[in-house]
Amino acid sequence: MIRRMAWLLLLLLPCILPAQVLVANPDVPLRAIERSRARAYFFLRLHEWPDGTPVRLFVLDDRAPLHRRFSKEVLGVLPQSLRRTWDRMLFAGLAQPPERVGSIEEMRRRVATTPGALGYLPKGETDESVRVLPVH
Amino acid sequence: MKAYVCCLFTSLTAALPSLGRADDRILPEGLQLHGFLSQGYVQTSANRWFGDSEQGSWDFREIGINASYRPARRWLVSAQVLSRTAGDMDDGSLRLDYGLLDWGFEANAERRLGLRLGRIKNPAGFYNETRDVAFTRPAIFLPQAVYFDRVRNLALSADGAQIYGDWSLEGANLSLRIGMGMPLINKAAEATFMGRDWQGSLKADRPLVITRLGYETGDRRLRLALSGITVRMDFERGPADPPPPLLDSGHIDLTMGILSAQYNSERWSLTGEYLLQGVNWVGTGRLPPGYNLAQGWYLQGEWRPRDDLSLFLRYDDRITNLDDPNGTDAEAARGIPAHNGFAHDWVLGGGWTPRSDLLVRLEYHWVDGTAWLSNEENDPRSTTRRWQMFAAQVSFRF
Repeated sequence: MIRRMAWLLLLLLPCILPAQVLVANPDVPLRAIERSRARAYFFLRLHEWPDGTPVRLFVLDDRAPLHRRFSKEVLGVLPQSLRRTWDRMLFAGLAQPPERVGSIEEMRRRVATTPGALGYLPKGETDESVRVLPVH
Repeated sequence: MKAYVCCLFTSLTAALPSLGRADDRILPEGLQLHGFLSQGYVQTSANRWFGDSEQGSWDFREIGINASYRPARRWLVSAQVLSRTAGDMDDGSLRLDYGLLDWGFEANAERRLGLRLGRIKNPAGFYNETRDVAFTRPAIFLPQAVYFDRVRNLALSADGAQIYGDWSLEGANLSLRIGMGMPLINKAAEATFMGRDWQGSLKADRPLVITRLGYETGDRRLRLALSGITVRMDFERGPADPPPPLLDSGHIDLTMGILSAQYNSERWSLTGEYLLQGVNWVGTGRLPPGYNLAQGWYLQGEWRPRDDLSLFLRYDDRITNLDDPNGTDAEAARGIPAHNGFAHDWVLGGGWTPRSDLLVRLEYHWVDGTAWLSNEENDPRSTTRRWQMFAAQVSFRF
């Protein structure tokens, strides 16, 4: 019985906890972030941290399952809304879209080594080289 | 020409994707390069649209490259060059699409304010700013009732200044943009507003004013916008033109208002826009109509059964003169067939995105009326009222 419940809990865990997290360069001046601020960054309305450091955004390809889950579950927006905003701003010359990385490994490396970097990782793929920013 | 385009397309596809990647970065810090390339094919049952479409036309190409650079915190410089081929309406010559300097003088999570200077695309409706980028359009052709391609330049961009503001409210975003600048006027504007290309000339000596107010819910599912443009054009009669009182030097005031709404869910979107356009001719003689109120609107439903597949259905409706919705008065007065006064267009289409940088689209139009066909491509006296169009387009971006 206990064993069965433990299994059930284990199965439910990915549904309860977000499987992907917002990560930033360890030098950024925030320990946690409001969802409205995270959205302002990803929708290219705000380009700097509270101390004035420029924000450098990194994303995976639009099709990457992690990108889609991050958009929906962490930012609470549709991935196509992000794409539409990035393209509209980019091709009217109003903002620079996020830089695309090719893999989760590259995402971690770029976020760890780029001042002001902001990106995302699967929950189990973070280490001390990046700062996990809880979204509230 | 076809072979040349194919070759260009293939080499660009092979060479360019690496530029945008952060991984193998070859560009200096803060500089980004992007671009797009699209080739279309148009076949019509009657009437010309984007070239000799009755025989099948390939004269529909859009190529653009842009660069943007952040020289300092809160500053952005950007420019895009564009070549657009659109049958007899656009010859593919290279031009500066936009070139601007942006200074965000206030920026925080609640509010941002800024100023832009240079050649700025006009934020009219949902699509005008990026109307030549296939990836940002909802179909191969924008709804012509609202985004008529035959006088696109007038509303396309302005050389001047724009102030902008964004406010974060409880669960929503509000944005306001106000711009002033000199519009671009070409022969198409004269053909549309003065009936034909006279020896005299049509100029804009005063700046255009554009305003757009936008509202979006925080999750971006609901989007609303209200945009308005006013522009005054001056007409100077040439010595060889018909003498007064038929034709005279005067001015034309054009005012456009667009109401836009969109709702998005994961698998479907519903978009509608409504345009009212008033034109007032002052002192230009008896040949131009004096006053005209035109109306255009569309409703488009889109369904995405898979992440890489979309299907849409659209109804698009334009009436050139609300006082004469069937065009019969114009026919009686000037002998132009009544069906030039309206266009009712049903469109069924779809898109496939095999890769995030590649887009293939097909669409079919059933059109009743010729209101948005170009006088540069057709003699309005010999157009066919009911016609169909098939279009295909391949687009690449980087």
